Amino acid sequence: MKLLVVEDDPDLRRQLVSALESNNYTVEETADGEEALYLGEEYPYDLAIVDLGLPKLSGIEVIKRWRAAGKEFPIIILTARGDWQDKVEGLEAGADDYLVKPFHMEELSARLNALLRRAAGHSKPVLEFGPLKIDTTGRVVYRNDEAVKLTSYEYRTFEYLVLNAGKTISKSELTEHLYHQDFDRDSNVLEVFVRRLRQKLDPDQDLGPITTVRGLGYRFALDTTVKDSE
Amino acid sequence: MNVKSPLQSLQGRLLIASALVLPVVLLIAGLALSKAYNYSVENSVKDRLQLQVYLLLGAVELKDDHIVFPERLQEPRYDQLNSGLYAAIHDQEGNLLWRSLSSILLDDPHLTEAINLGGITTGEPLFQHLSDAAIYSFQLRIVWETEGKEHSFLFTVMESDALAIRDIKAYEQQLTFWLGIIFLVALLAQTLILSWGLTPLRRLARDLKAIESGASEKLSGSYPDEVEPVTENLNELIESERKQRERYRNTLGDLAHSLKTPLAVMRGAELEEHELHTYQTLVSEQVERMDQIVQYQLSRAIKSQSKPLGKSVQLAPIVERMLSALNKVYKNKNVHSEMSLATDLTFHGDERDLMEVLGNIMENAFKYGHSQVKVSGAYQNSELKLSICDDGPGVTPEMRQVILQRGARLDTSIQGQGIGLSVATDIISSYQGAIEVTDSPLGGTCFIIRFPD
Repeated sequence: MKLLVVEDDPDLRRQLVSALESNNYTVEETADGEEALYLGEEYPYDLAIVDLGLPKLSGIEVIKRWRAAGKEFPIIILTARGDWQDKVEGLEAGADDYLVKPFHMEELSARLNALLRRAAGHSKPVLEFGPLKIDTTGRVVYRNDEAVKLTSYEYRTFEYLVLNAGKTISKSELTEHLYHQDFDRDSNVLEVFVRRLRQKLDPDQDLGPITTVRGLGYRFALDTTVKDSE
Repeated sequence: MNVKSPLQSLQGRLLIASALVLPVVLLIAGLALSKAYNYSVENSVKDRLQLQVYLLLGAVELKDDHIVFPERLQEPRYDQLNSGLYAAIHDQEGNLLWRSLSSILLDDPHLTEAINLGGITTGEPLFQHLSDAAIYSFQLRIVWETEGKEHSFLFTVMESDALAIRDIKAYEQQLTFWLGIIFLVALLAQTLILSWGLTPLRRLARDLKAIESGASEKLSGSYPDEVEPVTENLNELIESERKQRERYRNTLGDLAHSLKTPLAVMRGAELEEHELHTYQTLVSEQVERMDQIVQYQLSRAIKSQSKPLGKSVQLAPIVERMLSALNKVYKNKNVHSEMSLATDLTFHGDERDLMEVLGNIMENAFKYGHSQVKVSGAYQNSELKLSICDDGPGVTPEMRQVILQRGARLDTSIQGQGIGLSVATDIISSYQGAIEVTDSPLGGTCFIIRFPD
């Protein structure tokens, strides 16, 4: 999952980025509204965290223009003032949730998790697919109720495929959502991840959770066993 | 300094208006006066000429169908060349029977062409001003009967109009002069009246300057009835602004003081030898405390005080906005929200305050309700009554008062709890309103707010 952090205070931005990165998100950052507008319009982010008080272009304006340009990724606004007028205006501009500064990183993490799941069409934090269970809050994958040891990139790759279950995801889309812009797209790292994921999740090769669609990409092929209440 | 147009000043406007209107009025008056004078001058000429005709009639005699004049006429001007008074008598056919000596030098055409020979009915005098010939003429046709024979004669008396015209000219000059004087005097008087009448406004400006410079606290002294509502309102505004400033100052003081305690705790903790974990907990606790203090004081400072200018907000659109905003945030909960408000409900106060109250209470309902939130409002006993109900776990009677107090939190792990409700309570009481917590028909909690209408 690739996130955009728009915050002009360098300390808070650094904290946000490092907290999010340690939660296995790919994070890109910017300090001003104009650059944020450009990035959001050009790159496929999965979620954006936007401070309302930004130099050059206000957060509200950035959000409005993203939405006007048809960008649908979830947006969390950060506000220092915390009065309801700000919150309501932000939500009306197109944000999906808000956090009042100062906030706990855990709170932010929980909110963005919920938004990412909601965007993928799931309302529960734990998704089950037969013997496989993926806990998006704890970022753990279980196989027959046993935790599977995955590296951070393996987990990200798997989570992205699961949250887009049924859709064929091209290698370039996966790369865009999982890595920074300067990642070498020609490498075969992805293939390595997918091979290892298959080995770890499906050692007996009787499940086939990830299908290769020749020439197009990968697809998570299992059906969910627990119906979402949504 | 930029050049101001005179139209920007009341005095300028009024003066320009009267400088434009006054000449028109004076012109019309002048025309009427000169017309009336003209008429009266001509009337007196007519009377005079009529008298002359009668005198002539009295002087002549008819002998053997001929007119006979006495040797000397009573009026000496008839015998004086170019005296300005002329007379003539014509017979029925228009033949000149007699003309006065004075008219000898008068061009003949004047006498014959200018005056009307035919078309004059017997006994009806005709008076004309023949401006081309510069004369007034008075004519009368009479019929004399002698020995069963009728003789018709036309008597014409003329007078030069030079005198009358000179009279009228002199009158018009005088009139113009005096009307000009009236214009100037009226304008001067108006200027004086205006500057006297507008004195209170200038005093108001001066007094406001004095307030601005700090020399005085409010607009004092008595103002005219028309200005008094303005000064009263201004005084209220100034007073509320002063109170607001005072509150800001107090809040700032409170804020600084109350932040010092947690700061002192943290500074003290530097010296104590804590383990990292204990230290972290301590810092986190104190940060939390400082955050609450800042939030509380901030919302108190933003909160508007009295409402001298009587603002009011429509309730339904605000509630609708808040509901759709909260529905977005709590989308995962799939809360069914319902609103039953009369469309004419208005809140007499600041929109920000209303949003703060509603936001804090409605968010609680969304947070703690299971799946239903209902906002309803109506006027009841001249109060605006709003209730926000949810179907959550409810609040025990003992806790109901506590949660409305400052800093109370039912669940410390959820951000923003506690402070929001106490801020709402604070704002409500600043509007002389009331808030209470009751059981909800939906099964959870109802917050009932009452504002005096």
